[in-house]
Amino acid sequence: MRDVAIIGVGYCPVFVSKRNDVSIPEMISEAVWSAYRNCGLTPEDMDAFTFGNMHTFEGVNMPHLWSADHITALGKPIMRIATGGTTGMSAFHCAYYHVASGLYDTVMTVTFEKHSEGDAQVGLAGIITPEIMTMLSLGIDLTGGSGMCGLGGGSAGGISFQATSYLHRSGAGIEHIDAQAALERRNAAKNPYAHLKDPECTAEKIAATPMVSYPIRFGHICPTTDGATVCILASAEKAAKVADKAAWIHAVANCTSDPTTGNLIEGLITDPAEQMSCQIAAKKAYERAGIEDPKKEIDLVEIYNGFAHQTLMYLEKLGLCEAGEAHRMLERGETEIDGRLPVNASGGVVSTNSIGTSALNRVTECALQIMGKAEGGHQVPKKVRKALAHGWGGLMQYNTVTILGDAPLKR
Amino acid sequence: MDDKVAIVGIEYSQGDDLGLTRERLCFRTVRGVLDKLGIDRHAIDCFILASNDFLEGRTISNVFEDGPVGAYLKDETKVEMDGINAVVYGALRILEGNYDTAMVIAHSLCGHQVSPYLQVQYSLDPTYDRQLGLLNELSGAALQARAYLRSRGLDEGWLDRAAAAALANGAANDMVTRSLDGADESKVASSSYLYEPLREMHCYPPTDGACAIVLASAGRARELTDRPVWIRGFGSSIDSYYFAGRDLTRSASAADAARRAFAMAGISDPASEIGLAEVSDLFAYQAPLLAASMGLADADEAPRRFAEGGFGKDARLALNPSGGALSAHPVCATGAVRVAEAFRQLRGEAGAVQAGEPRLALAHGQDGLCLQQNTVVVLGI
Amino acid sequence: MGEGKKDFRVVSGAWELSGFNFRVEGRGMRLMMRGMKEGKFTGIRCGSCNMVYLPGPFYCRKCLVEIDEPVDVSDHGTIRSFTATMSDIRGNPLAEPQIALMVQLDGCDSWIMGVLRDVDWREVRIGQRVKVRWKPPEERTGSLQDMDCFEYE
Repeated sequence: MRDVAIIGVGYCPVFVSKRNDVSIPEMISEAVWSAYRNCGLTPEDMDAFTFGNMHTFEGVNMPHLWSADHITALGKPIMRIATGGTTGMSAFHCAYYHVASGLYDTVMTVTFEKHSEGDAQVGLAGIITPEIMTMLSLGIDLTGGSGMCGLGGGSAGGISFQATSYLHRSGAGIEHIDAQAALERRNAAKNPYAHLKDPECTAEKIAATPMVSYPIRFGHICPTTDGATVCILASAEKAAKVADKAAWIHAVANCTSDPTTGNLIEGLITDPAEQMSCQIAAKKAYERAGIEDPKKEIDLVEIYNGFAHQTLMYLEKLGLCEAGEAHRMLERGETEIDGRLPVNASGGVVSTNSIGTSALNRVTECALQIMGKAEGGHQVPKKVRKALAHGWGGLMQYNTVTILGDAPLKR
Repeated sequence: MDDKVAIVGIEYSQGDDLGLTRERLCFRTVRGVLDKLGIDRHAIDCFILASNDFLEGRTISNVFEDGPVGAYLKDETKVEMDGINAVVYGALRILEGNYDTAMVIAHSLCGHQVSPYLQVQYSLDPTYDRQLGLLNELSGAALQARAYLRSRGLDEGWLDRAAAAALANGAANDMVTRSLDGADESKVASSSYLYEPLREMHCYPPTDGACAIVLASAGRARELTDRPVWIRGFGSSIDSYYFAGRDLTRSASAADAARRAFAMAGISDPASEIGLAEVSDLFAYQAPLLAASMGLADADEAPRRFAEGGFGKDARLALNPSGGALSAHPVCATGAVRVAEAFRQLRGEAGAVQAGEPRLALAHGQDGLCLQQNTVVVLGI
Repeated sequence: MGEGKKDFRVVSGAWELSGFNFRVEGRGMRLMMRGMKEGKFTGIRCGSCNMVYLPGPFYCRKCLVEIDEPVDVSDHGTIRSFTATMSDIRGNPLAEPQIALMVQLDGCDSWIMGVLRDVDWREVRIGQRVKVRWKPPEERTGSLQDMDCFEYE
């Protein structure tokens, strides 16, 4: 096993609803060249590429083919990964395995989503297209007015069930979800690469947004964002030669479970707030990183939260606090940028969601925090020695974990 | 690469219409390889899927495959490319050191579910090529076929003979469940034009298929089988999307992918060292083009020799004794099937299509228009 | 950069899905529909781990073996989660919020969804016992609509 470091991060200049000034490959290349600039490397340094996005959102199949010229990958190995919301981190893990295998020294992970060129709702509904078609043929009522509303009562979606169950299990109230959303909007205001920013956001302001489907309010939900993120990984030897600062990969892990929303064809089993796959992935990552007590050893966390309740729920599932404790930490201000355990100092996915990048941004944000390079005022004041990045995807059942450190792992 | 990563088991099927749902196809294929090895799903450390959401008609299409492939509460990821890349990823995982076994599952239901050309259509630049409407997988291949014929001084009749040679191999292969008997030169020549000079039987058939491959670390491999097939090397490379700027009479990225794989395998003279090559030839002109690009055959001699059956199972280099992708192309699984075919050839288990006793074999997979992206794996026994 | 510059044109395109002919497993669903016509639920049990699924899949995801043993499942159960949606699937506001439940039926390990009616959504709690209100036998056709809704026990 080789030590692998993150030595460069590149974002496209802004993460916004619509990048009308650039095409898909142009937007990706902005992030690629930003990463090169940030670490002083050139395309000649790159041994291989991994690529991630969810191509049904733009309607361009396997866009690494179209983008090959624009990401400087010509004549190089490239591997495209797609696992849903987690895609960015899954592609990053793939790059890690490239370097850790001993066969490649420097590998670039390229991720993007340009939601404005497609329809995210159609893309997401596409997960269960055949199931919906079947249920329609079997007499499902799309209005959700009677019988087995397989679509979760109109637009509710499985996520509302998860949030309800989380509140029930934790003892938290909807006001805690409001407060969490507000905290992340405020953090986002300090991150130049965030989308929904509100420096004055309060729980009351979020509470005033319409209820979409209990307990999910409009203010709890992520936006659809255009954006691209690039990360450069290197072996210890290469990092020593070229990088002034690096964040070291201590562990990567992932786990899947069953799809848990409204799939009448397969039946559904687990409570969507149980997230057993997250617990398993975290346990494996801690073992690999030699972490015995994550509550004490992890200094900073980036959680994939398409919806604000997930920040709190996953803090518990990742073992970073006891069950029912996350909303107490929030109340005590421990998860603020200057708190004991800063959580989503970047503003999280709930503030910025260009899906292919979202799980990678969790990793790059942890890396920048370790390197002390987070821009725009969201660098945390405390020294970050170990940070955890979490990704969530699939149909609520898939989780990825990455643990980074400020020095190579002591084996 | 010496004995570090092995393939210990395979299971695959391909045909016009396997008459299954994709869930049952995945389940059957995985269950098959587990039973062959006498292990259960808990013996697998990670699952690497290869499929394509555009072919499946659904987003995050692996969501409902995790159950049937046995990945429930396990480590699973998906390579959305040809399945041979999932084999490479599995090897990388094992080389890293945390995994002793990896299950690769590649599949698609192109035979009955969807027009396979659609997925290539949707990979094109939506702001220009898709608007113009002239370019698609078949028209691109026709342009490349024309360029290749001209560069090698071949006529259209050569395409008929090359296709007939490939399909004759496929007819003999019990792992291709299509009726190919009697697909001779005249039958190929009388099939209708799709894009001139390409006729229907010069082009791959829409195919259902799935392929499961179990990889293992050296120590674990010897526990699971007494005949592991070792991964000696691999490489991949990508050309420009803008194929008007490429030399279409060869494949630079296939050459580069092979060069990388040979370097890793310590092969200096591939033409004499490789005894068997399984390439993903989606169109009748591609097998000799690829073999020449990868340094397995002379560029001038390869096309005529291929059409005359000179790369048959008794030749020094057997090229696609399985019938290749021209006989069955389950998109996404095709490259993995090439690995599986090489596996059984190296173990002497290929039955009617067994090509002597090869010691070193090459498997190839591709994605994109006109051979844009290529991956090569070298296997040895 | 960003949204300031307007040197672009928008080209329209669609993702054509008409080429697909999805196949889905039929047995578990058929069993369930046949039962529903008679006002009961039929699931499938895994003979290896005794897990009961409704509707039954063809394999057990824990054991990775084929399963096909029909088993009756109660039409009484427990609310495991719920939501009240304020708009329909197209985002149009509803006159009355609709309550959707996830219910674990007695004797079944998997959960099903259903509508809850005649209850103030603010009163719904996880753990509440419910039962199925079936449509009258003459209106049942062997469809998902044979179940009218859930109601409190």
